Amino acid sequence: MWSRRERAQSDDLIDRPGSVRMDHRKDIAEGAKVKRSIAVLLLVALVGCVGLLAAAETLKIGICKIVEHPALDAVEQGVIDTLTAAGYAEGVDVEYLIASAQGDFGTAISIAQNYQSQNVDLVVAIATPTAQAAFEVFRGTDVPIIYGAVTDPVGAELVPNATDPSGNENVTGVSDMIPVAAHLQLLKDLGSDIATIGIVYNPGEANSAILTDMALAAAPSVGVEIVTATADTTANVPLAAQSLIGRVDAYYVTTDNTVVSAIDSVLAASVEAEVPFLMADPTSLAQATLAAGFDYYEHGLTVGQIVLDVLSGVGTDEIPVTYQPTAQVHLNLDIAAEIGFEFPAAVIDQSSTVLYGGAVWEKQNP
Amino acid sequence: MGLLWIHAVEQGLAYGIAALGVFLTYRVLDFPDLTVDGSFVTGAAIASVLLVQAGFDPFTVLVLAFVAGAIAGTITGLLNTQLGITNLLAGVLTMIMLYSINLRIMGRPNLSLLRVATATRVVEAVWSPLGAFAVLAFIGLLTFAIKLLLDGFLRTELGFALRATGDSESMIIAQGVNTKTMKILGLALSNGLVALSGALVAQYSGFADVGMGLGTIVTGLAAVIIGGTLIRSRRVGWMTLSVLLGSLVYRIAVILALRYGYVVGFEASDLKMITSLLVVLALVVPYLRERRMKKVSSC
Repeated sequence: MWSRRERAQSDDLIDRPGSVRMDHRKDIAEGAKVKRSIAVLLLVALVGCVGLLAAAETLKIGICKIVEHPALDAVEQGVIDTLTAAGYAEGVDVEYLIASAQGDFGTAISIAQNYQSQNVDLVVAIATPTAQAAFEVFRGTDVPIIYGAVTDPVGAELVPNATDPSGNENVTGVSDMIPVAAHLQLLKDLGSDIATIGIVYNPGEANSAILTDMALAAAPSVGVEIVTATADTTANVPLAAQSLIGRVDAYYVTTDNTVVSAIDSVLAASVEAEVPFLMADPTSLAQATLAAGFDYYEHGLTVGQIVLDVLSGVGTDEIPVTYQPTAQVHLNLDIAAEIGFEFPAAVIDQSSTVLYGGAVWEKQNP
Repeated sequence: MGLLWIHAVEQGLAYGIAALGVFLTYRVLDFPDLTVDGSFVTGAAIASVLLVQAGFDPFTVLVLAFVAGAIAGTITGLLNTQLGITNLLAGVLTMIMLYSINLRIMGRPNLSLLRVATATRVVEAVWSPLGAFAVLAFIGLLTFAIKLLLDGFLRTELGFALRATGDSESMIIAQGVNTKTMKILGLALSNGLVALSGALVAQYSGFADVGMGLGTIVTGLAAVIIGGTLIRSRRVGWMTLSVLLGSLVYRIAVILALRYGYVVGFEASDLKMITSLLVVLALVVPYLRERRMKKVSSC
């Protein structure tokens, strides 16, 4: 079980650059010195009291995400639910500091620095830039950083090696990498006439660019051709999707935040082109012909499990990059009917849920 | 908490260099330039690529980032003065172009600097006697050196011509100054500063990301306007100082919102609203005080 570490005194702060330990009393004194206005003084005093009371017994976990987004929100919820289920009652055993950078990269750094000054025991960083910011701020400390929704933790230089964790510093976590080659194969299995696959993506998104590169690399071995259309903003997604009409036999969208925000326009284009559309995120099944991959809430549960492992004393240098297990296929029969498409029997056998008549049906004995 | 204030000042000054750039176009040249959202990233991109792939010195890359930003500004200037595209649109077009160019420079959307010797990390090691103040000292010295250089430039004959171009274009044309050249020069300088700021922020943050420039114009304008309210002066030295002060106020507002927002029941999603409200407060307090003073004196 997790036990609270004794805190180092703040006296050595100046001698150790990058040190994060601060004494709460000093904290309050300094805050008051800087702010003169009565209102802020009151706030500082209030926070100080709350902080002192809370610090005495509860575990403090800082959660930060780069922006509000259904997938990232689901990860956050999954982490909290895992901890709650494991007996960490919110407000009693654990206190969550939750922040979103609201898309501002400077704020992402400020959030990590704020967590540092509040002496959090652990940081959960959701998405690549927030994980990098947290790592930079907590560099060389013993505060563990657990990342989630990072597609390529090695490319982002959070960890040196995906399989060998021995070189990890105070960071580990879960990758949201999806099996792109398997998805291309799934599309190919939909019909012998599927030879060209269109991908709509934002080249400015780190995760999406990696996944698209992987698709381009895997295409020859799967035996399909890839045509890409790029959209740098949500507003440009409809045009990008429409530009592929008549040029592709199927649409494929990975976990691209920009495109997912405008996924209905990709669906509309695929319906107009009367071709199937595979979405790599089952939460969007209602807006696709079929979906494969994992739910981001499940991803959050996996991240939460890593948090529990670290809290129970497993070192971050003992946990390799964890990959989200994913094998399920979900079919949207309503959309298939609309475009006059019939799923082959093999794909139906593979599926775990289908959407039919507006309702989701789960396979009883898969 | 003390450390947090230091960080707020570090960031305020680092972004303050970009705000000086915005000041140069928006206030001095009277040219609302949106190129900065792109050139901020260009600076970060150039610096990161040179650091990671070419093993450049982390301080040299700041200078090279300035040059890259100046080129971006020149493009906006040429679009505006030579091809007759309106100032807003010229900036927007260059900004959009830079999105693709920045991706080309970096080769990918996110470039990590977590495992190279960045300027902040070198300074931390070399100036270790300063402890937690080392990075602050470095960013502070750099920012004030740039501020003083800019002040000096604006007091030269060329600087006066630049200021006059913004104040009264027709008059300065009559004086025989080529205002087109002045605009290009101003835009180049401005975007050079913005790119330098981007290169510094990337090294400070430990990564460059193609999305990191979003909102540079907004925070830059906020700094210029907040500063202008806090220090009202027509003297160059005070004006540039006010911009840096405005940038500081903005970052401190972010930190205050993060640190104390939840006490008064705000949620994570309310952050931008709290930041804005704190900035409103910073603007309104001196205004109200001044109004009260006027009332008192008129009695």
